[in-house]
Amino acid sequence: MALRWSRITPQIALAPAVGVTLIAFVGAIGWTIFMSFTRSRRLPEYVIDWDNPFRQFKRLFNDAGWQISLQNLIVLAIGSALAIVVGFILAAMIERERRGEDAFRTVFLYPLAVSLIVTGVAWRWILNPQFGIESVLRDFGWESASFNWLSDPATAMYAIIIASIWQSSGFYMALMLAGLKGINTEIWSAARIDGVSLWRVYLEIIIPMMKFTFLTCAILLSLGVIKAFDIVLAMTNGGPGQSTWVPAYYTINAMSAKGNLGLASAAAVLMLLITLVVFLPLVALTAWQQRLARKGDTA
Amino acid sequence: MTDATIMYPRKPKRIKGRSIAVLVFLTMAALFFCVPLYVLIVTSFKEMDQIREGAMFSLPTTWTLEPWRFAWFEACSGLNCSGLRAGFWNSVVILVPSLIASIALSIVTGYALALWDVKWAGPFLFLLFLCAFVPFQIIMYPLIRLTVTMGIYGSITAIAFVHSVLAMPILTLIFRNYYKDIPPELIKAAIMDSGSFWRIFVEIILPMSGNILIVVLILQITSIWNDYLIGVTFGGLGTKPMTVHLANMVTVSTGTISYNVNMAAALLTAIPPLVIYFVLGKFFVQGIAAGAIKG
Amino acid sequence: MPSVSFEYIVKRFGAITVLDGLNLAVEDGDFLVLLGPSGCGKTTLLNLLAGLLDVSSGRIMIGDRDVTELDPKDRDLAMVFQSYALYPTKTVEGNLRFGLSARKLPKAEADQRVQWASELLQLTPLMRRKPSELSGGQRQRVAIGRALVKHADVLLFDEPLSNLDAKLRTEMRMEIKKLHETLKPTVVYVTHDQIEAMTLATKIAVMNKGEIQQFGTPDQVYEHPETLFVASFIGSPAMNLINGQFTVTDGGPGVVFADQTRIDLTEYTFASLPRDGDAIAVGMRPEHFVHDPVEALPGHTAFDLTVGMVERTGSDALISLDFADDQLFVRAEPDRAAKTRPGDRVQVHYPTAKLNLFDAKKGRRL
Repeated sequence: MALRWSRITPQIALAPAVGVTLIAFVGAIGWTIFMSFTRSRRLPEYVIDWDNPFRQFKRLFNDAGWQISLQNLIVLAIGSALAIVVGFILAAMIERERRGEDAFRTVFLYPLAVSLIVTGVAWRWILNPQFGIESVLRDFGWESASFNWLSDPATAMYAIIIASIWQSSGFYMALMLAGLKGINTEIWSAARIDGVSLWRVYLEIIIPMMKFTFLTCAILLSLGVIKAFDIVLAMTNGGPGQSTWVPAYYTINAMSAKGNLGLASAAAVLMLLITLVVFLPLVALTAWQQRLARKGDTA
Repeated sequence: MTDATIMYPRKPKRIKGRSIAVLVFLTMAALFFCVPLYVLIVTSFKEMDQIREGAMFSLPTTWTLEPWRFAWFEACSGLNCSGLRAGFWNSVVILVPSLIASIALSIVTGYALALWDVKWAGPFLFLLFLCAFVPFQIIMYPLIRLTVTMGIYGSITAIAFVHSVLAMPILTLIFRNYYKDIPPELIKAAIMDSGSFWRIFVEIILPMSGNILIVVLILQITSIWNDYLIGVTFGGLGTKPMTVHLANMVTVSTGTISYNVNMAAALLTAIPPLVIYFVLGKFFVQGIAAGAIKG
Repeated sequence: MPSVSFEYIVKRFGAITVLDGLNLAVEDGDFLVLLGPSGCGKTTLLNLLAGLLDVSSGRIMIGDRDVTELDPKDRDLAMVFQSYALYPTKTVEGNLRFGLSARKLPKAEADQRVQWASELLQLTPLMRRKPSELSGGQRQRVAIGRALVKHADVLLFDEPLSNLDAKLRTEMRMEIKKLHETLKPTVVYVTHDQIEAMTLATKIAVMNKGEIQQFGTPDQVYEHPETLFVASFIGSPAMNLINGQFTVTDGGPGVVFADQTRIDLTEYTFASLPRDGDAIAVGMRPEHFVHDPVEALPGHTAFDLTVGMVERTGSDALISLDFADDQLFVRAEPDRAAKTRPGDRVQVHYPTAKLNLFDAKKGRRL
């Protein structure tokens, strides 16, 4: 009997997780996809609009707010990618120098422990035109200093990018540091004896060796950018106007402010699609890495 | 050979130029990273008169605790002017059941998937892997309907429930990856010794899980404490967490803005996770690395 | 090719002194093997020579150049690493060229060297492959090739064969030996494998706890160990080391063991004569025993002992004999061993001239 129970008990123990997955994830996603094809407004309508099933998607793409959101998504992705570069430079320097490693790592990572709402408060204060960095620089004699980025639609996105770089660089630094430490120390020794300049060692040997780490960082960054909501809310609340809307913000806004469930669902479905586009390379990457590992690549 | 004859002593070691350049650069970067925290701190101790003079980097001329007191006891969030403390206690009350529920659910799931012979474990793991990446927006409205149907919408229970649901896939994967390194012979031997699923879990697996539990605990405490979206969506009147109170407080547009109070409020919100970070930094790094995909 | 010398080398890591006033010098064209157990300081010494570590005090000379303060790249040496340290993102050819690229060689010269190394090491068909597509032995050859193309004065090897399986190790050992015989570079080679040391070296420095226990040719180290450590470390199966007491009687010097057996030491050449009653250790190589002589051999000590165990190891056999509360291991022909059973009495003789006597306390040869 003991053996029987040993087959059944684990399945019973797994039941809650399976239930959650099927209802809260699979079911909920299916429900939202279904909603995106209906004419639902404030309340769900459980009828697919067969005459014009894609009406919500059409509305979405005709909406200037959604177009801005998509543009901002790309701007944010490219801008935040600087965090990976910064993270790598910091990690490389820390790894080279060793002195003060713990202290530097602690400083570069602390923003990650802070709520994005707090991050927003801090950076809005720094960028405050009356009392912030702008007035400090003008007091120093730079009369034309202009850091009133948040109230200008053309620059508000950059303010968000700076705040998110500040917040996430430490994270990429930590990943890069782990990657750098995984490199065989004898490679460094070999390069020293060969007398190759440090630049060339990084460019030709180390960075190519860390391609998996860079790819992982890029994918995580993209996923983070798609989900970006708190930082936008805390920095600009979407403004000025709609100039800093991103898909995550648009979706919530369509649901709560506009009260348009069908439109919000369509936006959410597109968010999911974008996620999948980013996510598939990750699956491929994992498979590739496993294959390499099996081949016994000890280098 | 024990006579330590010192022949050809070396000149005292000098730090190389490149080393100095790197250290200077790192220090400057570190200072830049500290700027926001520094500005928050000094501003929170200044009086409004000094703040209006600009010079945001200067130290307070007179140090005052008033903004902190005001932020905690009196600041207005929406129409409610009883300070941040209500939000603080809400966050604490949300944190405890969320932690227990999310960890309990995922540790058992991870254990069952890693160490027990379940035929559909592979596909299920892949499904969880997918779920870990899903944007919250696509399941948000259905979850609202679900909590309304369950009659818990707007309560602490609803917030804890959603936290547990959302954290389940990634936490399960973390636990499962940790447990799969345990040799399966151990479980086979335990089954032979007539151990049951739960007895093996409680007597063998749990005592081995100290490290990973701390990592997951820190990961969850920071992400639940810092959450805004779930709190604002699923919380009702009087159950919204501290971050929501803070956001309402700083975006209020009526009257003059008390920047010092805002900064104090932001710091009050940031202190609990920062304390955990500075005390248990090592586990924190492991936690964010493990929970990287949680975003 | 220049000589290499270490003069009064001190190396400390924090409060730990790894090397304390070490001196060692080899001639040009020598193949020096630094041999010792892990943690004996041999790799530290090699890294000091390579410039990967800095000495705390002391001087390192290559030829007549003082290289103590020089960067690794300016010391004009090449190194083969334990993990090979091939650049994984470069092809075999890229690996060979990368080290040359920093030296600003004319292209024709670089091409010619790469081609020379690839032919010498049979790498030509592999030139386009990445290290991950090579077998262990091939990687090893690329690592050696990468060192050879630099035409460096001194070649360093850091346990280069320890990642290979037994058969490949033997093959690569022969290749390295051949390379040394044709190119005659000065080599410093670190290993803990005494067979590598015995076959490759022209000079062996046996190290233990940061000190050089003995420096000499393989034969000297094997036949004439200077310390108890060297005696016990070198040789497989290991030398028998039996403790006894030095006694001087009317018949001359001798040693008495726990079971009152006495060996006469009249014919042993003492480096320094111990005092009567001193504790000494007597070392006997298992392969120097002579079995069942027809008559008493001159200059030999005869033992008549009980067999404890017989061990076949393939080409050889080892017989353990009960002796003086201890065991005496004796090498035997497989045929001889096949006829021996535990409990048998056997007669073995040992040449007194090949005894090794050590001061049991100080560990030094007598």
